[in-house]
Amino acid sequence: MSDRPGKFECERFLEALETTRPDRGAEATAEALLGHVNEPVRSHAGACPDCQAAVEEMAVTRRELARLSEDGVEPGAWFTTRVMGAIRAKENEIEERKNGVWISVRRLAPRLVAFCAVLLVLGGTWALEVRKAEEARQAAEMRPAESVFESGPSAPLNDDVLSISHQEPGQ
Amino acid sequence: MPSLTEANQAGKGRRNDERELVRRAQREDKEAFEELVRRHQARVFAVAGGILRNKEDVEDIAQQVFLKAYFSLKRFDQRAAFSTWLYKITVNECWDLLRKRKVRPLLYEADLSEEQARQYGASEEREEQAQDVSERLEKKQELERLLECLEERDRMMLVLKEVQGFSVEEIAEILGINGNTVKVRLFRARQRITDRVRRRRAAGV
Repeated sequence: MSDRPGKFECERFLEALETTRPDRGAEATAEALLGHVNEPVRSHAGACPDCQAAVEEMAVTRRELARLSEDGVEPGAWFTTRVMGAIRAKENEIEERKNGVWISVRRLAPRLVAFCAVLLVLGGTWALEVRKAEEARQAAEMRPAESVFESGPSAPLNDDVLSISHQEPGQ
Repeated sequence: MPSLTEANQAGKGRRNDERELVRRAQREDKEAFEELVRRHQARVFAVAGGILRNKEDVEDIAQQVFLKAYFSLKRFDQRAAFSTWLYKITVNECWDLLRKRKVRPLLYEADLSEEQARQYGASEEREEQAQDVSERLEKKQELERLLECLEERDRMMLVLKEVQGFSVEEIAEILGINGNTVKVRLFRARQRITDRVRRRRAAGV
């Protein structure tokens, strides 16, 4: 059997170590970090060099990065006002854009009506012309058909009878 | 001293209160949103400060984050915590800015540029101040050099976890990756940092 603790215990310990949060104002040391880990899990670190190394690595990292939190940017006293002002400005911009579309529609309305009227007159005239032309074409097509029945003298109805009647008896 | 149950109840109460604030803000209640800004501005600044270079960028991004949050709040369904959603927007906005500028996302840099520091140095009257500034700059540059060994994403994870105190789960949600991946990457990042520190010490720097 190996002297080193099992993988499961390491995982449990690292899990607990990972939940510790950086302590502002206090220097991050391995001891301080271990202080945040619950006792049954904490005792594992004493017997496991890998977990001891993990604690040390976390402490070193936190110490080195501590400067970042010291130099952090704080929001100014007027930040909230600035944000709310920007929101209002953006809302106005959106509103103006919406109104802008409506205003241009209203401004163009008389021209649009006049244009539509002209379009209607032109369209109506064109439709009337087309209809007239169509009627005239239909009338022209009808004319030759009528002439078949109406024009010229009709052929004798009984030519055969006549030709027979002209024949002499005994021929 | 409040008991654990009392503390839990207080936490629950605060969460419910925040949900109500979000609900009101979703109905375009500006006062409610203002309160949300007040509650979260410091953390948004901290997250953005951990990713971006300078103060002006952080302020602009923070404003942009709240603006974006206000106008997309109706789409937020409260399944996740409002804060996580907000920090997700913060991280995305920072990345967008860095991508646009095509600069390497370094950690927070000095309020004063090197040029300004040099100007300070040139002034004999402000010799002491100049020394302070150059020391500050030197330490920051040292830190930046230390963090150079990490990938951008790992660097951000490390700042969120070891400086801002975000949990692994929160980081996973903010960055949209698996919690185990976060743990592994954090573990490796810390190993690299420690290794560099040891080598620096060994070299006597």
